[in-house]
Amino acid sequence: MIAWNSDTARHLLARCLFGYTRSDLSKALSYASISDFVSKELLADIPQPAPVNSWVTETPIANNGAVNSLRYKELTTWWLNRMLTENTSMQEKMVLFWHNHFVSDRAKVSYPQHMYQQNALFRTHAFGDFRQFTKDVTINPAMLIYLDGQRSNKNAPNENYGRELMELFTLGIGNYTETDVKEAALALTGWSVNGLNTVFTKSNFADKNKTFLGKTGNFTYSDIVDIILTKDAAAEFICRKLYKEFVFYMPNEVFVRQMAGVFRSAHYSVRAVLQFLLTSDEFFKPEYRGSKIKSPTELVIGTLKFLGITKPDFEYLADTSAMLQQYLFSPPNVAGWPGQRNWISSNTYPARAGYSDSLVNGRKGNGQTLSFKVLPIDYARSYTSAEDAPLFVRDVIAQLLIIPPSAMKEKLLLDTLLDGTIAANWSTSTPMADARIQKLLKAVMRLPEFQLT
Amino acid sequence: MKRKEFLRQLSLLTSGVAFGVQGVPVRTYAHNPFMLETAGTNGNILVLVQLQGGNDGLNTVVPYENSIYYQRRPTIAIPKAGVLPLTSQLGLNPAMSSFRELYDNAQLTIVENVGYQSPNRSHFRSTDIWLSGSDAETLEYDGWVGRYLAHKFPDYPVSLPEQPLAIQLGSVESMLLQSPVGSMATVFESPDTFYQLVQGNSAESASVPNTVAGEELKFLQQMAAQSIQYSDIIKKKADSGKNVVGYPNTSLGKQLAIVADLISGGLTTPVYLTTLSGFDTHANQVVASNVTTGQHANLLKTVADAVAVFTKDLKRQNLANRVTVMTFSEFGRRVNQNGTTGTDHGTAAPLFVVGNSVRGGIVGTPPDLNNLDSNGDLNFKNDFRQVYASVLRDHLGVDAINTKTILGRDFETLPIFRQNSALEVTEGIFALGQNTPNPFVNNTDIQFTLKQASNARLVVYDLAGREVLVLREGQFDVGNYNIHFSGTSLAAGHYLYSLQTDFGRQVRRMVKV
Repeated sequence: MIAWNSDTARHLLARCLFGYTRSDLSKALSYASISDFVSKELLADIPQPAPVNSWVTETPIANNGAVNSLRYKELTTWWLNRMLTENTSMQEKMVLFWHNHFVSDRAKVSYPQHMYQQNALFRTHAFGDFRQFTKDVTINPAMLIYLDGQRSNKNAPNENYGRELMELFTLGIGNYTETDVKEAALALTGWSVNGLNTVFTKSNFADKNKTFLGKTGNFTYSDIVDIILTKDAAAEFICRKLYKEFVFYMPNEVFVRQMAGVFRSAHYSVRAVLQFLLTSDEFFKPEYRGSKIKSPTELVIGTLKFLGITKPDFEYLADTSAMLQQYLFSPPNVAGWPGQRNWISSNTYPARAGYSDSLVNGRKGNGQTLSFKVLPIDYARSYTSAEDAPLFVRDVIAQLLIIPPSAMKEKLLLDTLLDGTIAANWSTSTPMADARIQKLLKAVMRLPEFQLT
Repeated sequence: MKRKEFLRQLSLLTSGVAFGVQGVPVRTYAHNPFMLETAGTNGNILVLVQLQGGNDGLNTVVPYENSIYYQRRPTIAIPKAGVLPLTSQLGLNPAMSSFRELYDNAQLTIVENVGYQSPNRSHFRSTDIWLSGSDAETLEYDGWVGRYLAHKFPDYPVSLPEQPLAIQLGSVESMLLQSPVGSMATVFESPDTFYQLVQGNSAESASVPNTVAGEELKFLQQMAAQSIQYSDIIKKKADSGKNVVGYPNTSLGKQLAIVADLISGGLTTPVYLTTLSGFDTHANQVVASNVTTGQHANLLKTVADAVAVFTKDLKRQNLANRVTVMTFSEFGRRVNQNGTTGTDHGTAAPLFVVGNSVRGGIVGTPPDLNNLDSNGDLNFKNDFRQVYASVLRDHLGVDAINTKTILGRDFETLPIFRQNSALEVTEGIFALGQNTPNPFVNNTDIQFTLKQASNARLVVYDLAGREVLVLREGQFDVGNYNIHFSGTSLAAGHYLYSLQTDFGRQVRRMVKV
């Protein structure tokens, strides 16, 4: 039985949400058990949001580049806003997980309507039935465009989708042959995109027997998905990915197989396997706490929640996330963002610090003023310990960092706040207290520990 | 990669500011008494150009006399009339006219049919195989260049060399530069913004918890230390270096301009990695109405133009002799075109090696379209690690034993570089070889080999004993060195050249005609 306390609650929130506020934490702890909180809050069915704008149903028109680019901006900021205001539902976390799984790229799909449609599909199926989900994705317009399904036909099948469906979306490499790729490509023919709709044209479909993963028949795309899901490798592949997202990037294969067993016996219900994972001993093992390197969206949104900023400039957030190599609606390639250490290079590491600085300074790195920033005195006074410097520093650290810094670093942080005076003289009413609080916040968020969650 | 977008945003967010945090040590590594010199290398530089997505080799180096090529690719084959012929069988895609000039000057070697046994057609797996230099069935987690650097800098990361071991232009670190002792790369998009970004970061290696989370923290601390360590010298070298020709305004052009600038500024970093993506041409590889145009042609032009300008830039600055450029891609594409004026994933393909020290010409035979595998793909002829072995031995001066360690086993080298058999030391500690060709008209090569690390000075004298040219001077590691030099400034006649080492001196004679 895992204890439900502020340590375990913080770990659960940190992994399932894009950061959390202090009130999210109290709310979590108001539930009697982990399992209650997971089922009634994190995995609860919540109403689907209203579309980003009425243009989502407009039939795409060619050569509309400037308009499209504005709409993408609108779509991206809308999504980031949802991540910031999701409260204690993990729906948006799963939407991003699926975006990173069933990858499509705005650069090739081009119409924002299609990318919105796909984003909405991910939301509908966020916790849903993986079988139906995979079938729907297969003939989703954005996907038909991105992996060339719309261009494939019985006479000249294009292997792009057939290969990635197995390699990256369901089975993983090594669980199919080159012949399976070719046969799947045949079964997937006939589908194309007309405006916002998917169209099946029978005359383009390879209406004949295919031999796929050892079975023979006149298979359609739906049969292909069903046959794939008869293989144990499929559930293991998805569970491994969930494990890497929510627990640790090096999977515990024994546990992954347990998850896969749960996933299969729950008829591929994503909600069921998440409920199992998020209440498991494995998930809460102390050694995994603080072992995940924040993704750019986790950093960008989570820092705002930590600092109590509710009205940010979402375009700035979108630009920052892209600069930190998570350009929403445009993963680097069909395998998505690999995550963890891949987020960090000698280029992006310092850029992360530039972002956290900017929230405190109220200025971008280039000196441009931001429309929002932390109000240092208000922020400090939101802690009951605000007037006791050593305690205040400890509380800030406890909220912002999962791995406590060394005593030496903590001392350095306290010195930063005191700026030459002694602890007894500290008060949030002293002159320059705001500047010192700013320095403290910047210094804490520049620690390597801040990048971990 | 969204490079253009990234640069735009980077400048939006960061230009012109130094981040500073009082109370936290800034730039603790400004000077490190344990710094290593990059003396562990022979001074030669390798610039890699990764073509991401799988470059279509058959439409790059076109078998323009092969009727099967035209049968299998009825609407995307490059017509014979458009090809830039190199031999009676092979010619370049017309978009690569700037490579034609390099080829004519023997500065471009094409290695045909490069691949490996049991080819994998997954982008991700095949990229890993190319980067790690492993067999198709073996999983490795570090890169062949990372292992080369770990061999060259055995004290890393206990002490950090003064200059970066390897530079990658980009933002997401490549497996190529991972070694068993961690990351060897400094990764950035531009020297200036890199410098500004790291100001204010603290590098501190306090003890970390002994847990998996502690491992991640250690990794972050190392990244912090590395970025601080190198931002300074990179900025300094970029400021003192220059480009003397204009580069094309393309992603690759910009990357190579930075590389040339840093080399010109005197950075001794031995390896650079640049990348160009977009080669996954499943659809609309060519424009149906005009097959010599389209996505693939644009990409090939980008590569050829950027590399050619880079070569010219270095040549004008007298830096070309030490630098070799090599392209690679995870696979070629299927012989048959698909139904969407494109090609699906395939296997073997040609690659390019460019520089003053290459032999020029084509290594290998034209692709054999009569003998395809069961998927309708080419069978490879030259193992990609033979190319790596050639680069390691003949360009970077690694000896046979260490090359074998780096690549896991022995691979025969290919005749890519001008002098491909290493001079052996038969007596004593070092050897100085006879220049080839001799007599020479303008260009000749001199080899020497050291069995122990030493200071070395390679000088040309006239018969009156006056120093005419200093070819090399400095600290050299154990290895075989091939020094190319251009004697255009010398009058015809007899000359001596001498190698002075810590173990003595040898002198040989040569003739310019």
